[in-house]
Amino acid sequence: MTSTTPTTISTVKELPPARGHWRNVWARFRKRRLAFVSLMIITFIYLLGIFAPVIQTHDYQETNLRETQQGPSFDHWFGTDRAGRDLYTRVVWGIQTTVIITITSFVTGSLFLGVTVGLVAGYFRGWIDAVIMRIGEVVSAFPDILLIILLAATLRPRIVDLARNIEDSTGINGLVSSGIVDYVVIGIALLPLSWFGMMRLVRGQVLVLRDAEYVQAARAMGTSTPRILFRHILPNVVSPIIVSVSFGIGAIALSEVVLSFFGLGVQPPRPSLGVMIGEVTARGGASVSVLRDHPEQLLAPIIVVWMLIFCWNIVGDALNDVLNPRAR
Amino acid sequence: MLAYIVRRLLWTPVLLALAAFFVFLMGTIAPGDPAELRLGNRATPERIERERERMGLDQPIPIRYIKYVGGALKGDFGDSYHYQGRSVLEIISPRLWVSIQLNIAALIIAVIIGLPLGFYAAKKQGTGRDPTIVISMLVLYAMPVFFTAPFLILFFAVKLHWVPAAGWDGFFSLQIILPALTIGIPGAAIFVRHMRASTLEVIGQEYVRTAHAKGMSDFVVNYRHIARNALLPIMTIMGFTLAGMFGGSLIVELIYGIPGAGRLSLDAIFQRDFPVLTAFVLLGAGMLVLANLVIDIAYTIVDPRIRLQ
Amino acid sequence: MRRMIIGMALSLVFVAAIACSGSSDDGDAAEAPPTSTPPAARSTQPAIAPDLQDKDDSSAVASGSGPAQGGVFNTLWSDPPTLDPHLVTDGTSYGIVIEIFSGLVRLGTDTTNPFEPDLAESWSVLEGGTVYEFKLRKDLVFSNGDPVTAQDFKWSFERAAHPDTASTVAEEFLGDIVGIQDIVDGNSNSAEGIEVVDERTLRLTIDAPKAYFIAKLTYPTAFVLNKNNVESLGRNWVDEPVSTGPFTLKEYRIGQRIRLARNDNFWDRAAYLDEVVFNLAGGVAMAMYENDEIDVTGVGLADLERVQDPTEDLNKDLVEVPPSFAVSYVGFNINEAPFDDSNFRQALNHSVDKQLIADQVFSNLVKPAYGIIPPGFPGFSSDIKGLEFDPELAQDLLNQSAYADPDTRPRIILTVPGTGGSPGLTTEVVADMWRQNLGIEIEIQQVEWATYIQDLHRGRLQAWSGLSWQADYPDPQTFIDVLFRSSSAINYGGYANPQVDEYVVAAQTEQDATARVKYYNDAEQIVVSDAAWLPLWWGVDSKALVKPWVQDYTFSSLTVAKFKDVWLDK
Repeated sequence: MTSTTPTTISTVKELPPARGHWRNVWARFRKRRLAFVSLMIITFIYLLGIFAPVIQTHDYQETNLRETQQGPSFDHWFGTDRAGRDLYTRVVWGIQTTVIITITSFVTGSLFLGVTVGLVAGYFRGWIDAVIMRIGEVVSAFPDILLIILLAATLRPRIVDLARNIEDSTGINGLVSSGIVDYVVIGIALLPLSWFGMMRLVRGQVLVLRDAEYVQAARAMGTSTPRILFRHILPNVVSPIIVSVSFGIGAIALSEVVLSFFGLGVQPPRPSLGVMIGEVTARGGASVSVLRDHPEQLLAPIIVVWMLIFCWNIVGDALNDVLNPRAR
Repeated sequence: MLAYIVRRLLWTPVLLALAAFFVFLMGTIAPGDPAELRLGNRATPERIERERERMGLDQPIPIRYIKYVGGALKGDFGDSYHYQGRSVLEIISPRLWVSIQLNIAALIIAVIIGLPLGFYAAKKQGTGRDPTIVISMLVLYAMPVFFTAPFLILFFAVKLHWVPAAGWDGFFSLQIILPALTIGIPGAAIFVRHMRASTLEVIGQEYVRTAHAKGMSDFVVNYRHIARNALLPIMTIMGFTLAGMFGGSLIVELIYGIPGAGRLSLDAIFQRDFPVLTAFVLLGAGMLVLANLVIDIAYTIVDPRIRLQ
Repeated sequence: MRRMIIGMALSLVFVAAIACSGSSDDGDAAEAPPTSTPPAARSTQPAIAPDLQDKDDSSAVASGSGPAQGGVFNTLWSDPPTLDPHLVTDGTSYGIVIEIFSGLVRLGTDTTNPFEPDLAESWSVLEGGTVYEFKLRKDLVFSNGDPVTAQDFKWSFERAAHPDTASTVAEEFLGDIVGIQDIVDGNSNSAEGIEVVDERTLRLTIDAPKAYFIAKLTYPTAFVLNKNNVESLGRNWVDEPVSTGPFTLKEYRIGQRIRLARNDNFWDRAAYLDEVVFNLAGGVAMAMYENDEIDVTGVGLADLERVQDPTEDLNKDLVEVPPSFAVSYVGFNINEAPFDDSNFRQALNHSVDKQLIADQVFSNLVKPAYGIIPPGFPGFSSDIKGLEFDPELAQDLLNQSAYADPDTRPRIILTVPGTGGSPGLTTEVVADMWRQNLGIEIEIQQVEWATYIQDLHRGRLQAWSGLSWQADYPDPQTFIDVLFRSSSAINYGGYANPQVDEYVVAAQTEQDATARVKYYNDAEQIVVSDAAWLPLWWGVDSKALVKPWVQDYTFSSLTVAKFKDVWLDK
């Protein structure tokens, strides 16, 4: 769903949309109740994550061995895990992890790399385009999740070493312990998942637009290439980008879960939804037992992931309809 | 068209060679030494050095790579580092076959559930049933496998004892049901969505209206005109879905205890079994490229308006 | 290697499953091999005369009250890297190989005298301990009917050592035999230390008197193979092996399953079971057990509560598993700050309430370790004074240490092997105890096994956890000498104490058993008091479920062939 839908979009407007266009889009989007509610839920979940330090009821790494494996209670809203840590607190911190990873991987991967490369490839065509497309094909020939795991497994130790060296030589503290390194690793590992789709999408649009009259006119007037790319062409590609991003976020969140599930993602004691799932199910082996005896421990992180993927898909659908009225 | 196919076919080996090189590169970047892993924790440095030599790890990467490609061209993908004395093909082939069967079973489930439901939803557009179907399928689509798998096991195996909880016993067995469902249900959601969209498109076409106007029965119109034409674009998606399922079956294989390729390649990463990993990537990539090519060609045959260039 | 097992706390769930199912996915992280306990008096102790056993069998058939013939036993296992005995280095392979193949001697279950004659009916030690003469049993045959002679052993040992075989352990387990090293180095094809005196007599000469030599012969590297079988089938001979153990290999599908069938040519009473099926693909063990897909499973943490509830059906199947002879620990690199300060290490030890963790987190599946040598193991002493939980003392020790000031204290990174899930609750709980009781913050770093083992070898880890040490053979040497002698290759923490070195070296040559154990205990006490480690748990697996129809399935702390005694009462 995520990979095929956006590429079928073929609408291209002749002129950069006016500001009124976005107001119009928003108005139409709001009419879709389900999508609107989904957006609200997403916002709510993300706010939980962003304000985790404020709304936490406990410390996320604080173990309490006298209150292990408790069900939901007034003190522990979602209950506690085997080490007596508060599940609610860990979930909101886990959401924060998801938020950060989603943002970093999108900003670095699909937005920066994918859009820029897509613009360049589509605009210059020729051998630049060919090389970029071939690289993309090689990368996308790998099964997604394998490539992500391979990258995370091989890169992490190198990047962690590098970060430690930086810390030691500059005196900056907490690069590793704050989890920044983890985000970098995951961001890089997720690159192949995010950049190529976006790049292909942008490139396709640009291939059409570069011959549009207003672009030809700009070129004739001697406008510089970067200016043509970013001022004239990019604004027209924004709609499909937004749609593509909204479909991709769910996949990114899920990928983080899978990575952390295998112990290649976020490092403890920092919680993440994937770490929580991996920990409680003992890498799958105990998943049935946990679901039967202590469902809250498994469901707390899973429902969040579930809702995120569901809501983003609904929102993506609605955006697709609203932004690309002709495409279905 | 022919030129296009030839170009694609010529490009394929280059692509595979590059993919293999990428894995080789990862192999050098990755910490952890296959020889050391094999020898365990008691090995002396000299012993490790000797083992590296025996495994051919002491040679520089380009030479190892060229040797590998030379062997691969002759169908020899080397020996596994982890499974001692076993060739890579011997390890991979049965696993791959298991994964293929599992994914085909999943695809069948996805098609059986997805296509009729999508068609039905499209026909009921404007009523409450359409969004109900679409949304409930989306809920299932979004359901993480970490929940689906244990839930199905708990319910159908442990509580009802209808099917085994885990294991693999071939395509025609009870064991395949739960894992195929786990992979197939999200797949069904994708088909519902596309089938619905493509049916809606066809319904709006003039020839359908003409058929109705000619007084043909609803049944004939539904099945001869609408469903058949709506299925065309779905074919592409099937190809992609099958390819996509491949990666997604990793966790399913883990929880259901299925000796598939996903598990194998995951283990290969952790065991630094690069020969197995490389061969797996090559096979996977090769299949993906071929699938794409076949789909493209099929398209031109089905719809002469499409030209490949 | 069999010695090192991943003891990640989380994998407790896993390890417990391993205990009797042998399932683990941690690559070479050789896990606790499956175990079994003393067989019933009637069974195959070689001391019992064969004719007595025959009688036992016939009466079983006649009266129907004894062991029943036939049936298939199903169990979960993980994929063995090899079934070639000479290549085995890990517990997963070991557990299966010892059911199929055998050698001169085998490990028994009596830890005071653990070496039982297997294919050899007796042996004598000559020339002050450098010559071992083995007498083979009468009328020994392979599973295909070929006779087993001393020549077969000579050929097998030389084959194991040959570079083409590429065994990684031949040097270690056979290298004491004169001439084997030359074969390993590729300079020779025959070892002069292996003499075939006659068809039934084999004489091995070793380079020096070594008390553990006989122990090494229990390892599969020293098992006998059929020359014809190996040479005619090429490198995949092991798919259709001719063997001498209680079972033969009937089917092997890599990654899927292994089926063993009874070997009717076994020298002792043939096994009762028709088949043993090892499911190699994994799955949710508990669900499979409840669904009657497997006959035995370990009980993980997640199921413990339910299984211990007397109203549950499963409760009837519950059996206690004797803990394996293993110790898990947090290791410190003694050469790196802050672990170069004994006070600091002791403070870390005293600040961890192991009993509380065992009670609350692990439902007492683990036993807190205050020494190194596990209880029940030869050389265990209850007099070892461990570093008990005492937060105040811990704080005092911290204040006396060179690293009392958190601002100048070096960063502490605790590395755990992370393939397959989370770093484990132990690590996180222990780290949090340090934080709560001493205010010491650490970083936990999780790396995959491949990276972990490399860094461990190179001494690059500052502190590590997630490992346990499993005894190879029943001798305290396998713990104290191997782990803490300053020149030992696996003394990863670089612990060096002249007194300890002196004791363990003295123990190597000490002939008096009591005095020898005393040396080890004295060394152990130093190691413990000096806090070279933070010992965590002894033996982790203590509960399993066995289907009610399974009879004489036994658990023990050492890995021995066990399926030959099992029978099904269905």
